Amino acid sequence: MVGQVVISGLLAGALYAMVALGLGLIFGVMRVLNVAHGPILMLGAYTTFWLFHWVGLSPYLSLLVSMPVLFVVGVVLQRLLVRRVVDAPELSSLLLTFGVSIALVNLAQLTFSSDLRSVEYLTGSFILGPFAFSKSRVIACLFAILITAGAFWFLQKTRLGKALRAVSQSREVAQVCGINVQRIHMLAFGVACALAAAGGSLVAVMVAIQPEMGQVYTFKSFLVIVLGGAGNYPGALLGGLLLGLVEQLSSLFLTTQVNEAVAYVLLVLVLLVRPTGLLKGRAS
Amino acid sequence: MKRAFLVALAVTLVALAIYPMHATGYGVRTMLQLFMWIALAQSWNLISGLTGYVSFGHVAFFGMGAYTAGILIGKLGWAWPAACLAGGVMAMVLAIVIGWPCLRLKGPYFAIAMLGLNEVLRVIVSYYEGLTGGGNGLSLPTLHASVPIYYAMGLVALAVTALTYLIITSRFGLRLMTIREDEVAAEAMGIDTFRHKLYAFLLSAVGPGIVGGLAARDQGYIEPLSVFPLITTITMIVMALFGGKGTIWGPVLGAVVLFTFQELVWAHFIYLHQLFFGVIIVAVVLLMPRGILGVLQQKYNLPRTI
Repeated sequence: MVGQVVISGLLAGALYAMVALGLGLIFGVMRVLNVAHGPILMLGAYTTFWLFHWVGLSPYLSLLVSMPVLFVVGVVLQRLLVRRVVDAPELSSLLLTFGVSIALVNLAQLTFSSDLRSVEYLTGSFILGPFAFSKSRVIACLFAILITAGAFWFLQKTRLGKALRAVSQSREVAQVCGINVQRIHMLAFGVACALAAAGGSLVAVMVAIQPEMGQVYTFKSFLVIVLGGAGNYPGALLGGLLLGLVEQLSSLFLTTQVNEAVAYVLLVLVLLVRPTGLLKGRAS
Repeated sequence: MKRAFLVALAVTLVALAIYPMHATGYGVRTMLQLFMWIALAQSWNLISGLTGYVSFGHVAFFGMGAYTAGILIGKLGWAWPAACLAGGVMAMVLAIVIGWPCLRLKGPYFAIAMLGLNEVLRVIVSYYEGLTGGGNGLSLPTLHASVPIYYAMGLVALAVTALTYLIITSRFGLRLMTIREDEVAAEAMGIDTFRHKLYAFLLSAVGPGIVGGLAARDQGYIEPLSVFPLITTITMIVMALFGGKGTIWGPVLGAVVLFTFQELVWAHFIYLHQLFFGVIIVAVVLLMPRGILGVLQQKYNLPRTI
């Protein structure tokens, strides 16, 4: 039983890590906490749903659509709105992205209605010895690992990725080195939204899709970042896995109903005891 | 100018005090809700407008007050005024629990902790069915009198506004605003920023707690979805921002304007209404960060206290 729970936790954790990496990227690069991260995930899930519904496209192939589309949405958001508050007090960027988040959720309510929708694809489980894993979760986890690995490769090996990390370390120095900071900000926002979209497309197969499904991911992603240490990108992986584990264990020992409360208590405890995160981060 | 303002204020207060004697039940209920929004927007202003720490979950205090009062009235038979005050006290207790870990840190930690708080309380309330009635809700004994609630709600709105006036014109308020403008500088000047933020947070929690209790008493029935809706937080933020955060009368102005608008136009288009709120927040942050009142103050060179 415990073994099963640990594995389910790790499966869910990989997904959390990927989505949180996006939020952490924006936070690291421009010190903006994007409250609309979860609603972007929701848009990714709807993209997958409609493609499946209209043209019968496999949810996993729809990643090829949802990620680029929301990459563009992210770049536009950054270019039009967020750019103006990057240097303003924190209050401005928090409120701005909060406003965007409300607008997106209600736009979705108006256009898609608040009906619960689901993508019936790949039901059933793999049986492996004493353990059973739902197929959609295993595959989602594999995709999440693949995409996260891709994102890390991009950050570590490519020139653009290095520029992005440089900006997140020190914007001034990066600027002096000839890096176009505005462009890097747009890139970071785009990549972050693409990661959220990937999360949305992958959860679309597992959970009910509705306009308000996203907000909880903003909170969970932030928790993952805090656990791992803000501004510490590998830390997000650890934080994601940890959150997945804690949630699954709590549903074993308590009930699934209190999942969110457990995650919340975890956040408050970490902030109380070790606000810089488990790996060293840059919290103030 | 200031004198004319004070006279207008006194006339308004007297008019509101005698209003229930001439109004219909519907009129009293509507005004009562306006008072509620004024108290809520003003309370949000106390922490977020003055210290710059954004609270995305102020409805949590409203809900806490509603459930505290609901349980005290429904299960223990307390009189409603005492139960509502107890709601305010419990909201402050909750504020200490959340503020203690989160306000010691700079950055968005507080904002996100508040964003999650609301959901968590809703889950907890639904879970402890024995005490709260769970998803079935909690019915209070019927009370056919909105008028006492009208006066109580008006008194709370007035008290929170008076409190805001006292704070903004005091050294305590100046210190809070220093934290908002530059927290490091505030610390360097010897301000105990954590304690100041915590005090402001406590003061901003008590109003919504009492108001939540009054709203529960007025409606006679509470359930998790009706007392912890995100839209309540959104509405108070929009009202305070639109009117002018960090000012005394801005949240009042915002509440009056947007509430009127809401009653007349938007009641029938709920999602469009919320979409509109999202757009207002974005527009105010980008174009008019000081709100309507801020613009008026600058244009007509008004004193800070108007």
